[in-house]
Parts: sequence; structure tokens; C-alpha cells
Amino acid sequence: MKLMYDFFTGQLGLGAAGANITVAAVMAVIMFTVMALCAIILTWMERKVAGFMQSRYGPMYTGRFHGWAQAVADMLKILGKEDIIPAEADKGLFKFAPILVLLGSLLAWAAIPWAPDFVAADFDLGLFYIFAVSSLVVIGILMAGWASNNKWSLYGAARGAAQMISYEIPLALAVVPVVMRAGSLNPQDIVIAQQGGIWHWNINPITNPFLFIAFFMYFIASIAETNRGPFDMPETESELVAGYHTEYTGMRFAFFFLAEYANLFLVSMIAALVFLGGWWAPFPGMGWIPPALNFIIKGVLLVFLNMWVRWTLPRVRVDQLMHLCWKVMIPVSLLCVVGAGVWMMAWGQLK
Amino acid sequence: MEAFLFFTCGALMLLGGVMMVLQRSAVVAALWLVFAFIAAAGVFAALSAPFVAIMQVLVYAGAIMVLFLFVIMMLHGPVLDGERKRLPLPMWPAVAIPPLAVLVLVGGWLSGRKAEALPAAPEGFGAPAQIANLLLGRYLLAFELISIVLLVALIGALTLGLRERKLPWS
Repeated sequence: MKLMYDFFTGQLGLGAAGANITVAAVMAVIMFTVMALCAIILTWMERKVAGFMQSRYGPMYTGRFHGWAQAVADMLKILGKEDIIPAEADKGLFKFAPILVLLGSLLAWAAIPWAPDFVAADFDLGLFYIFAVSSLVVIGILMAGWASNNKWSLYGAARGAAQMISYEIPLALAVVPVVMRAGSLNPQDIVIAQQGGIWHWNINPITNPFLFIAFFMYFIASIAETNRGPFDMPETESELVAGYHTEYTGMRFAFFFLAEYANLFLVSMIAALVFLGGWWAPFPGMGWIPPALNFIIKGVLLVFLNMWVRWTLPRVRVDQLMHLCWKVMIPVSLLCVVGAGVWMMAWGQLK
Repeated sequence: MEAFLFFTCGALMLLGGVMMVLQRSAVVAALWLVFAFIAAAGVFAALSAPFVAIMQVLVYAGAIMVLFLFVIMMLHGPVLDGERKRLPLPMWPAVAIPPLAVLVLVGGWLSGRKAEALPAAPEGFGAPAQIANLLLGRYLLAFELISIVLLVALIGALTLGLRERKLPWS
């Protein structure tokens, strides 16, 4: 960021305000490109993982090597589809909903620290901001379900909203112990506080067992938050066709699809930066690995874990989902917050 | 820069409020209210209160309005048909509010140009630490009382909702 800023002020002779705006614009384009690329790569990955879990190959022919071009072909197919808006739909809302869903995750991507000096929006309340803007996705989903004027869409949207609002609570509570430990809400500070190898990461159960539990609370809540199996109630194919995006085709459907994978990678990146040391290498002698690569590998491994869970466990019922959230995860997360605080006071780890 | 942000967000907030009142469909009205809330968050951010700004988005736009939308959608929210021309009488005072608010905004903008000597916010103003110190220190009693009020409201709503059914303890 500093480098880019210096380039614009020094080499191109821009003023401070002009350079700031240019850096912001460049970062926005970079983030959007990375997001689109990650959606394409993760689609392919999901198919291969699903195939592996079900003892089959997954895509094999498109692009010769393990069907790597299948995701690209699918994207081209989606872009070529006819754009249909149902006659009885609320047209304005129907068009705006996919944009809002994508906007929520793109805004959250801005505050992710990829490397020591590479974060689009570096500010003190970053982590809090990420949770706030990603809650806008819920409104987009509700809008999509209602505007489609289709009862399956509305059911899917209602389930999605109920689920995402409920699981936002344990998701945010699970991060609180880490914020207490680092003494900051800035994602970059939280990563820097975990310097020095795998045993300094927040997940280490010896430093603080409550943070170890909090990681699992976060992980389970993040699966529900991204509406993926076994918590994919908003899109249950067997009962709701496709949930809130049943009526969407072409580019608008692609937006939902993009947002789903962007969100999946987003929650994995947050888990990586909050609990798994962000861009730090796992062992001291591995400083030669680029920080961003460390970070992306951790994110992709967590995405793999997520897919593993999705293709292994059967779907839960709505009441089981709510029971798990309100009667198990929220009390345990609250206990984690209290326990982590007491532990840190007892061992003098508080900042 | 901050004054520009403040007045832009203030104008957008007003726009959101006016559009909300003018909508015929309850769902669209609720979405305009979300827009107004987000603009209000912008106003807070311009007043160097970033924590309150983010809280505004998280709690109001992200959670409370979703519950509103939820209820409106479940109850098939009312959509007014195009016949009515005159507003019912009690609505008239409300019509005066947006122009008044615009007047206040414009007046503030005009006077704000002259008053340059606005004191800068002190160090750490609006940061979570300061808000926590105030909420859990000086205003602890008020904070706890508000939580109790909310809890009572919650239990009251639950009791009203359960009125028809046989209560397990009765």
C-alpha cells in the first residue's frame, strides 16, 4: 500500500488526495478480480473434492488436466444464458438484490490483511466492520426471496435470514476472546500479535484452551453463516428447488454464485487471520515464503475442511439447526469469552 | 472533507426517510429505512464516532431491519392501492417534518462554513475502549436498567404471543 502510494505520488506526481483515491480504486479492482478468480477456482475445487468424497473423479475432460477448464466453461455458459425476470416479480428489487449480496461480501474483503503491507482498508475497527457489512448480505437474500414472488424463494429467504442472524451471534462471540488477547480490533494488529511460529498462534490450546474451543465455535458458525451443508437449509434442493435464487438466471444468478464462494473464502480467511496466525509462516525458519502465500494456503485449507464437512454430513432439520445455535453454541461461546478472560487474568496475559 | 461527508450523508438520510414515507409497499418502505440507517452510519462516521457508525450498520441495518422485513413478509405486508389522493388528517403535521429538516441541514451547512474553529476530537474519541469505559463505568446503572427494560419487553412479547396456548406451568 505504502509502495503503491509512493509510486503514485513520486513517479506520477499525484497529490495526496489524488494518490489516495487512485490507490483505493486500484485496490478495489484487484480485490474484485481476486474475488472472481477465487470463485472460479473454488468451484472447480468443490467439484473435485465432492468427487473424491464420493469415490468418483469429478470433471476430467474439459481442458485436459483434471477438467481444470470446467469452471471457466461453466462461467461462459452462465453469461450466455437468457436473462429472465418473472412477470409477477418486483422488478426493481429483483434486479437490486444480487448486487446487494455481492456488495456485502466485497465490502468485507476490503479489510482483510493479505500481507504486512497489503490491505485495502487498514483501520482500527476492521474486524468489527467485516461483521457489520457482511450482515448486509441477509437483507439482499430476503429481498431476492420476496421479489421473486415465488413461495419456494420466500421460504428459502426466510430460512436464510433466520439462520444467518442466529449464527452471527456465536460467530462474533467466538472472535471476542481473540480481540481480548490482542487488545485490538484491527485485523493487522491481531495477526502481528501472533508472531513467532505455530505455538504462538491463537489456536494453541496450551496458551489458552478457551481460544481453542472458540476456533471450533467459529468454524461451525461460519458453515451456517455461508449457508453450506450440513446447514444449507435456505437452498435445500429436495424441498425448495434452489431456495432464494430459484428464479434467477444468467448474470444475476452468477452474482449469487460469486457471492457464495466469496463468502466461503472470506470466513475461512477470517478464521486464518484470527486463529491461525494470518500471514505468518508456521515455523521460524520459513520466512522465505511470501506472507500472502502463507495466508492463502491457510485459507484454502480451511475451505477444504469446509467442503469436507459439506460432502460428509447429511443435512440437519430447521429445529435442530436453531437448537444447536441458541442452546449449544451461544452458551458455549459466552463461556469461552468469560473463561478466556479469567484465564488471561490468572496467567497475567492481559494487555 | 468531514463537513462534506456529514452533509452528504445527512441529505441521503433525509432522502431515505422521505422515500420510506412515500412508498406504497411496506417491504420497499422498510428497505428505504435500511438506506436511511446506513446514511446515518455515515453521519456518525463523519462525526468521528466510528464505533457507533459500525454499530448502527450491524444492529439496525443488519439485524433489526431484517426482523422487520421478516415480519412484513410473513404477514404479506400491506400494499396501498392507487386510489387515495388525500392524506388522512393526522398525517398532515408529519408532512412538515422533511422541509423543516432540510431547512435545518441547509442552515447548518451555511453557518458551518463560517464557523471554522470547531475543536478537533480528542485522542481516542469514539474508540471502543472509551465507549466501554463510559458504558461499564460512569453509566453502568443506566446501561443495566436499559437491559432490564429490554428483557421485560421481550418477556412481555413472549407472554402476549403465547396467550392462546396452554402454558406449561398453568
